[in-house]
Formats: sequence, structure tokens, C-alpha cells
Amino acid sequence: MSAGARTRLLLAACVLGVSIGASAQGPPGAPPGPPRPPRAAAPVDLTGTWVSVISEDWRWRMVTPLKGDAASVPLRPEGFAVVNAWDPAKDEAAGLQCKAYGAPAILRLPTRVRISWQDDATLKLETDTGTQTRLFRFGAEAPPKTAPSWQGHSVAQWERPPQLPGPVNSIPIFATRTGTRGRSLEVTTTNLRAGYLRKNGVPYSEKTTVTEYFDYHKEPNGDEWFTVTTVVRDPQYLNGPFITSSDFKKEPDGSRWNPTPCSAR
Amino acid sequence: MESDAVFRALTRRPRFDVPRGPRGRRQSCRGPMVKQGLGYVLVVAALVGAPAPLAAQVDFTGQWAPVYHEDNPERIPGPELGDYTGLPINDAARLQADSWDADRISVVSAYQCRPHSSDYGMRGLGNLRVWADLDANQQLLAFRTYMPAWGSERTIWMDGRPHPPEYAEHTFQGFSTGAWDGNMLTVTTTHLKTNYFRRNGVPSSDRRTVTEHWTKHGDVLTVVTVVADPVFLTEPLVRSQNWLLDPGQALPPFTCEYAPEVPGAQTVPNHLPGANPYLTEFADWYGLSLEAARGGAETMYPEYRQRMGAPHAAPPDRCQRYCVCAGFGCDVNPPRPAPAARPAPVAAPPARPR
Repeated sequence: MSAGARTRLLLAACVLGVSIGASAQGPPGAPPGPPRPPRAAAPVDLTGTWVSVISEDWRWRMVTPLKGDAASVPLRPEGFAVVNAWDPAKDEAAGLQCKAYGAPAILRLPTRVRISWQDDATLKLETDTGTQTRLFRFGAEAPPKTAPSWQGHSVAQWERPPQLPGPVNSIPIFATRTGTRGRSLEVTTTNLRAGYLRKNGVPYSEKTTVTEYFDYHKEPNGDEWFTVTTVVRDPQYLNGPFITSSDFKKEPDGSRWNPTPCSAR
Repeated sequence: MESDAVFRALTRRPRFDVPRGPRGRRQSCRGPMVKQGLGYVLVVAALVGAPAPLAAQVDFTGQWAPVYHEDNPERIPGPELGDYTGLPINDAARLQADSWDADRISVVSAYQCRPHSSDYGMRGLGNLRVWADLDANQQLLAFRTYMPAWGSERTIWMDGRPHPPEYAEHTFQGFSTGAWDGNMLTVTTTHLKTNYFRRNGVPSSDRRTVTEHWTKHGDVLTVVTVVADPVFLTEPLVRSQNWLLDPGQALPPFTCEYAPEVPGAQTVPNHLPGANPYLTEFADWYGLSLEAARGGAETMYPEYRQRMGAPHAAPPDRCQRYCVCAGFGCDVNPPRPAPAARPAPVAAPPARPR
């Protein structure tokens, strides 16, 4: 074989290798075409009934903490003023029993959640505690001009891999893209009504934004779980992002679903 | 024959006898040498471009600052005696935990400088550095982690090696292997020494297996820790903790000196069964039922709130301990109101003569 022929052969092998590598990692090698609906494109199945297992923050979640207890929350002084003024009787009188059941806090409460597809682009999350409903809208843009609500307006996407702000300039044969097989659900929630991060009046304001990442995992004993990492940003009452992660175990059916109304106490 | 030619081309060792000039300097590669060099580059490129099952899907390397927005009083100042809430423990674990006397650390040198195991360390004092070991083919061989708390250094093997046989040495960090599931790294750890689930004496056994799930979302690292312990747990303990990427973080070495803090002590400090007088304090301080404070799997599910029972004692009107905890600023005493009037300032002492 001539040197030229060998070089061409190697070039073909190289191109083949690159294309195989790229296609093995997902989107870069995917054939062009219309994007699949979010339901069909789901990398993991989050539907079903799940129960929160309270192995963390037990005495701030399973019982209403004592007045003035704001441990672990990065509160600004303005937030402590609200904590110290908490009065559940006033909230009840004002019809605000659901202040601790808003999107920034609902998944920290002891609850079961039921997740289902409302349509091909909307994932619905219901809680039996407080009987709340959240809608995760894929492809949605800015929230409509409606009054703020406990659950706000949530925009969802299947988490994308890390991206450079512009075109990738690296030489493909020297650097391949990694992290392309995302499997997380990312939800951003705004347009929230002011409420409580905890039932004892630790506040968040209407300026709050919540970013959540839902990750599914299956354990060696066969149990299925999702863990949701919740990042709450509130420039009014928090001095930085408030980050928690909550763990939910899948249940075989909905037989333990037990709807209960909001309680201020 | 064509495939043989490809094989020979891919496996032939390239010649690098670069022609040299009269003074021994390399001449520029042109003409035939360009093709040969290009062939070598293409061979390498083909290898680089080929599927790489061991390659990292996500880069976890870097400096990570722990986020203590969960269980801060337990993780920073330390847990209260008798607080077993949220732990799916059995009676054997309770019996051992009830006997715990923190003076043990002062008296028994084996408890001084005792490292946190890899599972508890991720929950405890967790400033973290992660780096990657790559082999000669630039494939991920292992992630390594370092935590200054007790100088804990750990290896997570990513090269597919099996775990050693059961009789192999157990260590505080154990033997860890990792595997990718998309952008999630799942780590399995065995061969751990006995340690604790909570550092108020709740024990973990050397028969436990730990499964971790690492995910990275932007600058947030989340690690779910699932511990199965046939000796002390009735169901797996699942917890998750978070870090923030902190490129400016610099981790110091950890130094710990053994020192007899109670000279002449002849016994291991302990409480005999039923004789620990401090086990109700936690429930009383926070207005909890005593049964809830004793932990157990049934206390971890929403329906337990319906049958939790009354507090052991009348709860205080408001928080009295660890009410304001953020980061390392966690004070056991509640914030006191500002005094009505400041006392007269004390005159500064004269400067000491040099």
C-alpha cells in the first residue's frame, strides 16, 4: 500500500472514530429533525407516587419548629424580624394557612407527591400535604401577567449539558464534548406569593426565584428515588442562595395518598 | 487483506528518526516526513475520537465549599445527646448510643484524632477538593477527594476494577468504585471500619455498604448517600448534601495530637443501660415526644405525625438553643436583646513599655 493510500485509510479511520464517539454521546451526532415533545424526550421517568423520607432537618420538618428557630437558613436581619413576629393565629385569621406550602418550601414538608403528565409539555406535581398542585411547563417563556401565587409559574427543561456561550472552537480530534447525556429535570419558578420557608415563619418574599433539579436514582435493593436539589434566591430576606436537597422514595401505588388541608400551625 | 493493512497501519510504530542537520539540529519536517508524521497524528486522533467508556461525563474536579443549610446545629457545633431523629436505627444502635459519654474522647486515645468515615465525612465537616487521575491514554483512572477534617483522603476507582474480597482490610475511607449513568456518578463503597451515623454515639458497623450518587448542576454539587447497614439499620439511610464550587478555596493539612486530657483515668467513660440521665434533654429543649427523639424508620414518614404523641415536657415558648445558625456562626445561646443603656466605657490601659 502506498503512503498516500495509507494516509487516506487512516484519515477515514479517524473520521469514523470521531463520528462514533460523537454519536455515542448524544445530540452532536443526532440526525436533524423536529425536536421530540418533552414527554417523549424524557430521559428518566418521574411519574408515579413518591413519599418524602425525613432523614434530614427532622425537627424543622416533622414538627413545627419553635418560634424564633431559624437554624441553617442564611437569613438577613430583615428576615429575623419576620421570624420573631410570627403569629399563626394572625395567618389563620387572614386566610393565609398555606404560607408554608409554596413552591420554595412544599417539597421540604412531609408529604407524598404524585407526578403525571398533564399533556406532552406539562408535568404536574401534586402534594397530599396542603393539596397543592404545581405545573412544570416545558418551553414556556416568561410568566403571564397574573397575580403571584403559592406555586408561582414554573418553566421546565431537561437539563442541558454545559455549553460555551458561543461555538465550540476546539479541534474535534483533540477534544470531545463530555457531559452530553443529561438526565435531570430543571425547573425555574417565579411569580411567587410571599410565604414561609418553614412553618414557623421563616420568610421568603415575592422577589424569590426557585431553581430545582430533579435526579432519579435506583438503589441496589431495587428502591427507586428522586432527589430534588432546591436553590432559593431571595434578595429581600436571604443573604445568599438557600440550598437544600430532599429525597423521595417511590411507592408501589397511591394507597397511602392522604390529602390534608394547609395548616398554619 | 485490506483489514490487515489497516491493522498494520494502526499498529506500526512510527519512525521518528528526524533528519538532522550538520550540527545535529533537527531539520524541519517536509516532504515524506510530513506524511509519516501525519499518519502518527491520525492514529492518535482515531484513538481519541473513538468511544471512551471510561471518560468522564461530568467534571467533578475542583474546590468545593460545603453548604450547611440542613442540620447545621448537628453538623457544625455537633449533635445533642439523645438526638436520634431521622435515623432508621434499631435497638442495638440505641443501646450503644445511649451508653455514649463524650468524655470518652478525652480519655481514650483511640477516639482522639479518629477520622470520619467516607460516608459520615460527606455529611459532617465537608470542605472538599476533588481531582482526577488520568492514565497514559488520558482515560479517567480515579477521582480522588481530600477533606481537611481528619485529613481524609479517598480514592474512587473508575477503571472497572472489582472490589477486594470481604476479608481484605477495612479502613475509614473504605474501597470505592464509580460508574457513570449519564451525568450521574454512582459510587459504591465497601470495606469500611465501624464509625458513626451521628457523632453523638449512634454507631455504624463495618458491614455497611454505601452507595453515592454525585450530580453537578451549575456550581452546585449534590451527593446522595445511601447506607445499608445490616447491623444497626432497619432500612437504608438516605441523605443528600450540597457543595458550592469555590475556586478560591485553599485547604490546609490536618494536624491532630493525642493528649491525655484526664490523667490517671482508669475507666472508659460510659453510661450503663438505663442509667444515662441526659437522654431526655434533647426532647425537652425542642418540645418533642421522647419516642420521636429515639428515631427509627417509622418516624421518618409523613403519617408518623399523626401518632407522634405529646411532647415529653411542656415546650418552651420560643427557641432557646442554636436558633441562629448559618455557616460556622452557630451560637448555642439565643440572641439577647440589646441593653437599654451602655455602661460607661472603661479607660484603655496605658501602653506597655517596650
